[in-house]
Amino acid sequence: MMKKADDINDKWDVQLRKGSLELVILAALKERQLYGLELLKFLHGLETMAITEGTLYPLMDRLKRDDLISASWVQEGELRPRKYYQLTEKGEKKLSTLTSRWRKSVEDIELLLNNPGPSLILKKGS
Amino acid sequence: MQNHELIHNYLKSLGKYLSRLDKTDADDVIREIESHIHDALELQDQQDCADEIAKILAGFGQPRELAAQYVEHILQGTPPPTGFKAIQSVKKGATMSLYISMGLFGFGVAAILVLAGFYKIFVPNGVGVWSVTQGNSIIITFSEHTYPNSEELFGLWLIPIAIGLGLAIGRLTWKVLAALKKKY
Repeated sequence: MMKKADDINDKWDVQLRKGSLELVILAALKERQLYGLELLKFLHGLETMAITEGTLYPLMDRLKRDDLISASWVQEGELRPRKYYQLTEKGEKKLSTLTSRWRKSVEDIELLLNNPGPSLILKKGS
Repeated sequence: MQNHELIHNYLKSLGKYLSRLDKTDADDVIREIESHIHDALELQDQQDCADEIAKILAGFGQPRELAAQYVEHILQGTPPPTGFKAIQSVKKGATMSLYISMGLFGFGVAAILVLAGFYKIFVPNGVGVWSVTQGNSIIITFSEHTYPNSEELFGLWLIPIAIGLGLAIGRLTWKVLAALKKKY
């Protein structure tokens, strides 16, 4: 029974991530610069965000091509050079658009969850 | 050493599958992934653990599949950079000449068949399809005389057959051209 619930959780996470991953990455880079491994570890620290290396890097490449993020190699002292990512102006705009759509979706879902039947209740003012 | 070979082979294989990218782009991808692998190993403090390397590489997936995601946008056809209009017009020219020659050929054959059909109505012996005796060939003639040593096929049935076939070929050509036009 427990295993089945885990399975449902995993499938749900995967489906939801598919649609929201771009928002997740842009949000993770808001007001900070991160390199790939750092970003990956950051996301792994969040319960529903455990993506693989094979998903992350090609996605970063696409976001960079779309000019939503930029990348630069940085060498700190004796350390190995690392490729740091940051939001571009276009990326920041996209993040704020996606953020408001995300919040709207959550609000709508909450409304549905808080209004079980039988009668249909419409939101005030609509 | 063997563990470093694992990493080396992975990156080499990845490089092979990334060959569609510009060399600078491909090198950049490989450099970043290499940096990630070594950083991750240092983080685990397990520089030479084969299990750890295998786990990290598994996270990246098969080199071929990983590379496919980087190359995808090229295969989907990125618009050519500006200044490459010459290539586009050559491509367009090739398509245009294909379009025209296909049209000429298709409608030409169709017209000849339809004309032959109508011609037979008015001049029954003027056109015919002949099967050469003891031979494997069929001969279509536009002549006042019967073809020597051969037997006429279809007879007057040639009229509906030729006209019908001609119209069908004409229609087919029209459809193919319409499909081509839609594409370009």
